Amino acid sequence: MFHVKFADIGEGIHEGVLLKLFFNEGDSVKEGDSLFTLETDKVNAEIPSPATGTLKRNKFKVGAKVHVGDVIVIVDDGEPGIRSNMEEGEVISEDETSGQADNSSQKDASAQPNSQLTPDADVALESVVEKGSTAVVGEIEISDAVIPSSGEGSAVSEPSRATTKVLATPVARKMAKDLGVDISTVKGTGPQGRVMKADIQAAADTKAPSDGAKAPSADTSNSSVGVSSGQGGAGHAYPKTTVPELDRSERVPMTMLRKTIAANMSLSKFTIPHTAVMDEADVTELVTFRGEAKALATSEGVKLTYLAFFIKAVIAGLKTYKGLNASIDETAEEIVYKHFYNIGIAVDTPDGLMVPVIKDADRMSIFELAAHIEDLSTRARNKTLKLDELSGGTFTITNYGAVGASFGVPVIKHPEAGILGVGAIVKKPVVVDDEIVIRSILPLSLSFDHRIIDGADAGRFVGHVKKLLENPHFLLMN
Amino acid sequence: MKTYDVIVVGGGPGGYVAAIKASQLGSKVALIEGDRIGGVCLNYGCIPTKTLLRSAKLYQDLMISESFGIDIENLSDVKINWDNLMKRKDTVVNKIVGGVEQLVKYNKIDVFKGYGHATDAHTVVVGEETLSAKNLILATGSSVLIPSIPGIDDAVTAGYVIDSTGAIKLPKQPNSITILGGGVIAIEFATLFNSLGTKVTILQRSDTILKNLDADVRTTIQRHLTDTGVEIVTNSSISRVDNGTVHYTHEGKELSVTSDIILASLGRTPNLKGFEPLGIKVDKRGVVVDEHMQTNVKGVYAIGDMCGKMMLAHVASAEGIVAAEAIHGDKTSINYHKVPSCIYSFPEVGVIGYSEEAAIEAGYDVGTSMFPLSANGKAVAEGETTGFVKIVHDKKYGEVIGVHIVASHATDMIAEAAVSMELEGTIYDIAKTVHPHPTLSEIVMEAAHGAVDKPIHIIKR
Repeated sequence: MFHVKFADIGEGIHEGVLLKLFFNEGDSVKEGDSLFTLETDKVNAEIPSPATGTLKRNKFKVGAKVHVGDVIVIVDDGEPGIRSNMEEGEVISEDETSGQADNSSQKDASAQPNSQLTPDADVALESVVEKGSTAVVGEIEISDAVIPSSGEGSAVSEPSRATTKVLATPVARKMAKDLGVDISTVKGTGPQGRVMKADIQAAADTKAPSDGAKAPSADTSNSSVGVSSGQGGAGHAYPKTTVPELDRSERVPMTMLRKTIAANMSLSKFTIPHTAVMDEADVTELVTFRGEAKALATSEGVKLTYLAFFIKAVIAGLKTYKGLNASIDETAEEIVYKHFYNIGIAVDTPDGLMVPVIKDADRMSIFELAAHIEDLSTRARNKTLKLDELSGGTFTITNYGAVGASFGVPVIKHPEAGILGVGAIVKKPVVVDDEIVIRSILPLSLSFDHRIIDGADAGRFVGHVKKLLENPHFLLMN
Repeated sequence: MKTYDVIVVGGGPGGYVAAIKASQLGSKVALIEGDRIGGVCLNYGCIPTKTLLRSAKLYQDLMISESFGIDIENLSDVKINWDNLMKRKDTVVNKIVGGVEQLVKYNKIDVFKGYGHATDAHTVVVGEETLSAKNLILATGSSVLIPSIPGIDDAVTAGYVIDSTGAIKLPKQPNSITILGGGVIAIEFATLFNSLGTKVTILQRSDTILKNLDADVRTTIQRHLTDTGVEIVTNSSISRVDNGTVHYTHEGKELSVTSDIILASLGRTPNLKGFEPLGIKVDKRGVVVDEHMQTNVKGVYAIGDMCGKMMLAHVASAEGIVAAEAIHGDKTSINYHKVPSCIYSFPEVGVIGYSEEAAIEAGYDVGTSMFPLSANGKAVAEGETTGFVKIVHDKKYGEVIGVHIVASHATDMIAEAAVSMELEGTIYDIAKTVHPHPTLSEIVMEAAHGAVDKPIHIIKR
């Protein structure tokens, strides 16, 4: 019996709506067949069947609100015991109590001799977790195969971390939940390294000050190089604000996306010493060049935006100033320079900010980049992005010029090292060869992690990007 | 001079286990024992008393066989053959001692007969031999404490007053026995002699027997003993012993009791002789050791009764392993709140951890749950329905911090609680664990259900 659950897919997603069920009860399903689609704040995830068998039950109706951990579909794979696509034995055991409503599966489980049930369930669990993770991230494995150490991001790294079953006493587990301690990060002192309650207490005591900053761990673990974000990532406390009841005000609960954004921003700002460099680029030639190329692009079915050129220029800059395409591994006290260029683009959506990532952007032509930008931003707005498209970035570009702004101090997407803000291109009077002329001016603002690089290099990076943008032919030769 | 890695002084359940463990960990080990291997436990304590108690139980069962549908024409034909009783006891003891001797030999431990004494922290003299070693494990145990009561020494000489060692080798069954003290050993002998038909009187100084046990346990046992004919006098103060007569005051009155035999069960005192030159720190309970059983003298460890922590064979064994492991660089320790202890009364008692009172005193948010034997199928079938399981838990996480069992097989049942507590288990885990039916162990599960919410097999109004 296989319980297909709404697994924790990271990205701060805790609830969703069941958008579509692909099979009816009694239908036979094959491993890998899509079972259902979940709509969440950020993405729509199509969940494939982890097993081959008969669909025993669809536990929810289309349109129902579901939470992480809920059993959505039960597949009878003819195997004894209850297995699920969620990690850890603990989860399973919870299931058995909660699953009491589900008499049929309960009976099936208890019909098996005890001696067989436990080991079976365990063995199954191991393999299931793997399947579960591929399930959740769908095609990720294929697409990411090209980028070796790149960010499978939270989607993959989260479940795989959970595969290691943590030995811990029941009291320690409860206590960990209570005190918000990630039990997998605690070193156990009991027999065979079992985590005892004293270990949890000790962990809670040392971590106490960072309690608040720890919340966003789900999203931050998308560090493509495994920067430890759970512990020690942000060791800073900040007080929780309570706003008194005010007249002429209204209270709206934060959406999950809002909370995720808030947590990520806080983590970034509390961890990374942001420093900004600003400059203006004379992009008159680029404006002309793009105007000429636009028609050609349209004939190719591509909407050619300036952003494609910006990405091209940024990647050239990153190749020279490697510190901006890096992360700090705080635990190991090492700087991890990435030899791949996954550029995040900040997209304004009705619900809030989303940052889809163009993977291996350095291998793409301007047209390809433009096509990707259009595709990702469209899908960000209709919430049809896949999880892996939201993670694994190495550098981000935010285009607030789209709303007419010129300069800004963008917040770095943790654990990246930099973010380039591009403003609106505006015609301005400038001095060229001692004459005032009208040129198209692009404001550039770079926020960078001063722990990794210093101001001079950051300034040089901006200068490099600026030079390329001022000379599109040179940019394309690059 | 013979050189070893570890010298263990004392071959009781602490010493021989420490010796075997040390040998298993690769040390060359010498074991010094003045008597037979196995110490008090195997030779004069645990094993012989359990052997005798088995006969007593069988006798009891025969006496009530009619109620189980087995008629014995003339119950007075059922007789206790004291000599054969003692013979069986000796056979059992010899068999087990022989087994341990084999274990010791198999583990290539050199055994030296005699009482050792140390000249320094690395040298022990036993008879003609001088042994030296880097590490010393002292496991000399304890002896019966005979307090100074007027007339008691004469009564000992005259053979009226005996200790537990004497009690297991009486030449014939006494018609009556007075037991001084109300501790575990006193209660076991009271059970033994009472079951065999000897008239038993217990004189206890404090207001209750089994003082440190959970109140529900001691009242149940006290009531059961009284119901089966044992006379228990609490709040008694012994003033004088005159051969077989004990004079005592009780509630202001001068009273006396006369019996064939008086069993002094007033505690045990650590054996410390022979190790004075080492300068080991001793307090009023015994040798002072750290959590790895090391004394204040580096390389000298002390385990078991001589430390006076919990005078139990299994504690001594566990401490022996801790000491052996510490010597070999593995620093382990024992949580004494998670050590079970047993009383082989009828019914038996198995307890571990905090009593309800002690838990409250220790500041826990205490929850308790009790389930009676009388609601258990197996107990009813066996006709042994006196007793209960009581679980004491910390309400915060439901952690089990004490379990108290009174039942015919309580001593075998308490291990479940020990495992659960060692793993910091909760009432939820025990309640959720499927227990086999029909067994007494189900009561543990039922008590846990009761702690979580409600037990299944009882009506609670």
